[in-house]
Amino acid sequence: MRDFLSKMAFILVIAILWELIRLTGGYPKLLFPGVSSIINALWIERWDIMSKTMFSLKIIGMGLVVAIGLAMFGTFISMSGKFFAEIVTDLMAIMHPLPGIAILPVAILWFGIGIKAILFVIVFSAVWPLINHFYTGFRSIPVNQLEVGRNLGLTGWELALKVMLPASFPHILSGLRTGWARAWQASVAAELVFGAAGGQGGLGWYLYKKRFMMETPGVFAGMLIIVLIGIAVEYLIFAVVEKRTVKKWKTIIN
Amino acid sequence: MFCFKGQRVVAVMLVLVLFAALLSGCRQQDMGGAQVLADEKEKLSTIRVAKQFGLVYAPLMVAEKIDFFSKYGLEVEWLTLGSGGAVREAMAANELDVAFMGIPPYLIGWDKGLPAKIAAGYVVIPVSLVTYDSNIKTLEDFKPEHKIAVPSPGSVQHILLSMALKKQLGDPNVLDDNLVALPHPDGAQAMLAKKDVVAHFTTPPYLFEELDQPGYRVVVDGFDAFGQDFNFNVGLVTEVYHDNNPQGYGAFVQGLNEAMNWVNEHKEETAELLAPEFKIEKEKLLKYLTAEGVNYTTAPYGLMGFAEFMKEAGYISKVPESLSDIAWENILGQVGKREGGPCTLEKIQWSK
Repeated sequence: MRDFLSKMAFILVIAILWELIRLTGGYPKLLFPGVSSIINALWIERWDIMSKTMFSLKIIGMGLVVAIGLAMFGTFISMSGKFFAEIVTDLMAIMHPLPGIAILPVAILWFGIGIKAILFVIVFSAVWPLINHFYTGFRSIPVNQLEVGRNLGLTGWELALKVMLPASFPHILSGLRTGWARAWQASVAAELVFGAAGGQGGLGWYLYKKRFMMETPGVFAGMLIIVLIGIAVEYLIFAVVEKRTVKKWKTIIN
Repeated sequence: MFCFKGQRVVAVMLVLVLFAALLSGCRQQDMGGAQVLADEKEKLSTIRVAKQFGLVYAPLMVAEKIDFFSKYGLEVEWLTLGSGGAVREAMAANELDVAFMGIPPYLIGWDKGLPAKIAAGYVVIPVSLVTYDSNIKTLEDFKPEHKIAVPSPGSVQHILLSMALKKQLGDPNVLDDNLVALPHPDGAQAMLAKKDVVAHFTTPPYLFEELDQPGYRVVVDGFDAFGQDFNFNVGLVTEVYHDNNPQGYGAFVQGLNEAMNWVNEHKEETAELLAPEFKIEKEKLLKYLTAEGVNYTTAPYGLMGFAEFMKEAGYISKVPESLSDIAWENILGQVGKREGGPCTLEKIQWSK
């Protein structure tokens, strides 16, 4: 509760500061809309924003599931032999620095304009950091822990589940965090650059439309929602998972 | 835990300081801008114009190449910006004195308080909705899966489509879910590949290129949708520049008129001059420059016609009370104000 209150106070301070700067600076409404007009835009457009948010979350969810699947596959084959490990590492070195949005023109050529292209960009953006973290996680499992596990008679799946997973989970978790962030960025960026979809579009498309209609409060409202979702996912999902897993297991310091 | 709190306080303070520094920077720049304007008053020097690319902008490109402005004592600083949206934002931020855009995007900006008015009409040119699908004869034939490419939401092409929809089907928004925002070249590419989109609301030269293909037809003609001719673009000058630099303003308008006239009188030279810029053959460019319906003019056409429709359809919240709300004096003087009912020039500012 105290934590929640301090966060609300923090947001309030930012809002007050925003208004103070706006009023004392005499900036035009077009460039620096008031907090009230942003809240107003949020309220008037609530249904539209909600459906756009749902759409964004849906394709990000789909993209992440595919990316996690691919990353797990990539990690397992690189764990299974030096040959594959080198291929995956090389691929990662080439692909990881490439921003997902740079893939967009190719994605459009291959998949046409629409969800498939955006999905491709999301998967591409998320899969490399995921593999990177998963692989690092599995490789950094202390050998003595593995051996203790083996001495206790654990083999195969049991060893993987009871020793390897807990030992590498901090890395897996930070991989998921990065993957989620990259997927979120990719979906908004792809729609913002391309505005690819018509009736079906997410928050990036919402920002795009608001920008072209010069509705600055609407643009800020969209940005606010993106930030809020980021915060919500961090505190409601990742923080909870962290508390129940790595903090409980004491694999990381509290 | 305490340490964590302390870090947070420091972080917040850091952000505040940075923000304040940023804003004081803005302030200084603003004062710098005023200083520059004061200097300009004495020696009449520069105007910042957004450079744009395309057949429509041929007069601007010629004006830059031949330089029609320096003899009036005006130096033009040409700035390149990414998109129409960026041009309008730069204007709102006073980073730009002159910009060219369609009447609907300008009205959207005007509605939101963009401090600029029309200093010149800019070109009358055909804008049409093209399709290659032989099943699509009229707007009624569009099914939900038929994607229509327009350059951006709120563009002249988008508004013309809405106007045609209202005229023919009674609802301007009925095809909103079919729209795809694609820049002209991408839209033309998708059309020629017959991929993703079945129709494209576009402008020359893309319009001509698409119509040159067998089976590509016009579904909606922009002039029919509007009811008469309209300026494809208008030349806007910001209030700050107009009020503080009348000589610069006058010089720019006069230079633009000269460039426009030069293009009309020297289409062959224009084609020769600009063919390398467009990277097409001179003959092809000449064909485009002399195609039917292309009219390089600075006269105002249809300036008020989009506003009422856009208000009704919900794109803007208010309609200009008179032309003086959206145009500077040279336009107002040209159009005039006939006693006892509007004159021809007043009438052509409205849609039919």
